[in-house]
Amino acid sequence: MLKFSLFRTINYALMLFIATSLAYFMASAFLNPRSNYVNQNPTPPPEAIDAALSAANMNDKTPLLERYWTWLQNVVLSWNWGLSPEGASINGEMARRMLVSTQLVFLATFLSIIIGVGLGIWAAIHHYKLRDRIINVFSVASMVMPVFVLALLIVLVAVSFNDTIGITAFYVTGLSESGVNGFFPSLLDWLRHITLPTIAMTGAGWYFYHQTQRTYLLDTMNADYVRTARAKGLEKSKAIRRHALRPSLIPTATGVAFSITTIFTGAVFIEQIFAIPGLGQYFIQTINQNNVNGAVAVAAFGGACTLAGALLADIVIAWLDPRIRIN
Amino acid sequence: MTNTSTASTPVIEQDARTKQRPMSKRRLVLRRFIRNVPADIGVVIFTLLVLLAVFGPYISPWEYDELDFMSLTEPPSAEHWLGTDVAGADMFALAVRGLGKSLMIGVIASLGTSVIAAIVGTSIAYFRGWVERVGMWLIDMLLAIPSFLLLAMIVSAFGSGANGWLALTFALMIFGWFGYARVLRSMTLSLREREYVQAAKYMGVPSAKVITRHLIPNLGSILIIQFVLGVVVSVLAETGLSFLGFGIQPPDTSLGVLIQEGSGTLLTAPWMLLVPMALLVALTFSMTLIGDGLRDALDPTSQSGGKA
Repeated sequence: MLKFSLFRTINYALMLFIATSLAYFMASAFLNPRSNYVNQNPTPPPEAIDAALSAANMNDKTPLLERYWTWLQNVVLSWNWGLSPEGASINGEMARRMLVSTQLVFLATFLSIIIGVGLGIWAAIHHYKLRDRIINVFSVASMVMPVFVLALLIVLVAVSFNDTIGITAFYVTGLSESGVNGFFPSLLDWLRHITLPTIAMTGAGWYFYHQTQRTYLLDTMNADYVRTARAKGLEKSKAIRRHALRPSLIPTATGVAFSITTIFTGAVFIEQIFAIPGLGQYFIQTINQNNVNGAVAVAAFGGACTLAGALLADIVIAWLDPRIRIN
Repeated sequence: MTNTSTASTPVIEQDARTKQRPMSKRRLVLRRFIRNVPADIGVVIFTLLVLLAVFGPYISPWEYDELDFMSLTEPPSAEHWLGTDVAGADMFALAVRGLGKSLMIGVIASLGTSVIAAIVGTSIAYFRGWVERVGMWLIDMLLAIPSFLLLAMIVSAFGSGANGWLALTFALMIFGWFGYARVLRSMTLSLREREYVQAAKYMGVPSAKVITRHLIPNLGSILIIQFVLGVVVSVLAETGLSFLGFGIQPPDTSLGVLIQEGSGTLLTAPWMLLVPMALLVALTFSMTLIGDGLRDALDPTSQSGGKA
């Protein structure tokens, strides 16, 4: 088991390295930090522009591979993700925002899995009955509704709700108010801020788990070994719990890793709409400001989240299915 | 003489065929699809949306880039059917134009991703060995980075200008196929063991021909479903990018651009937001219903539509 986990970890680390390098080359090719200065009025002298860009390791007059090598050395040797074109440290910005985004992504992923898998199992047991059909309607609705549409509708409803009851029960911007002290007031303040974004992200993410879990549980429920168990007199709920559920969780676990990407992408929209100072909002800023190093750092963080999810999924699958451990 | 014979023979053949043989697969699938009520609703909504996108500009009294300075941010009225935006542009004209653009980008991009995914997915399964291992590893790696972020970078560089939408469509193709290729490869795993594929291989049929003649056509039903559901994914990606300001740039418009503009006046002028939102959801919803209906109709083991 340990050897298996170690092998997968090395594999994912290599994947992350190549993916991040790819992101670096793409960001360098498509973002143009020089235009930040050229568009300024008055335009700074060319020497000054070159000096500023070289300081941030973004000068397009330096060969790309040389810039890449400098960047790579900084990241690997001193965990320094570089500077923005204006000379601000990427590490500082990332550290502050990472915590914010992780809260959002973790909460939404956790709730999506609980709600989605739970409803998926329930729907599969009662498949093609009214209950299943009703859940399916909600599932399809959440699938076709883009996360930003859902979020804007939630803002619309929340604002009119606040107006109706006369106090601001739920905030639609930011993640905390200034001037709140003490543990319980802070906790309440946090809840009042994070509820709406979390509802929006969970609402856009749970359908995936519902659909996979329902499909695969239906498959295994009709498998021969489950029928045998039923024929031997095991009651239906016990047969499902003991024999059908476990193998049906495997595809869902595989899906967790890939759905983290979706949830992370959703966070970009949610942070923009709810004005939350997280990584998603930072990513939009980095592109608009041609901040090559910042954009790469966000992409790397997104990749790291996905691969951490994939590793976790591998371990869960190996635990669910002993045959995998042997291979 | 020749005219009558050519006109009458097909009719006879058609009759004879239906009498002698059981229902052809195509007719079976069509019948199962038609009997599926949600799928029919999907087709009706989608057809209406396409008609609106194609003929809407002709029935609208306003052009999408025509500004009516006498009515800024006005609610729906007889003059402006769906109201106007802050600059005085007619919402109906804008929405129709945006719908057409989003639809076009979605369909073209989904077609492209389906073709790329079919070729890559079947090829890496057919060649086996190190091609398959390296290919799968690369696909998994590409799936790891949020491709939306990379898309945003590319589109921000090329998205502006008159042909910005073409660059966007192309970028959506390049970054949309990873997941599909993965699915198609696992579908090919059992297909590649079939006798006719093995026979073709050992008779010396070139690999490219085996793939295009035996593997891809046998995945046809999955490809059709993926194409339809891929339209949803592409439309969502396009509107998402445009919403964030990276996709289609004003003065041109798409549903994402309209939603982005409408979100600024969420409370004062909700029609600016609700009109494009309703169209977007109608579009993705109808395509999803069609895709699900196709899946049920093409899948011989599905029981959701009753027995055929």
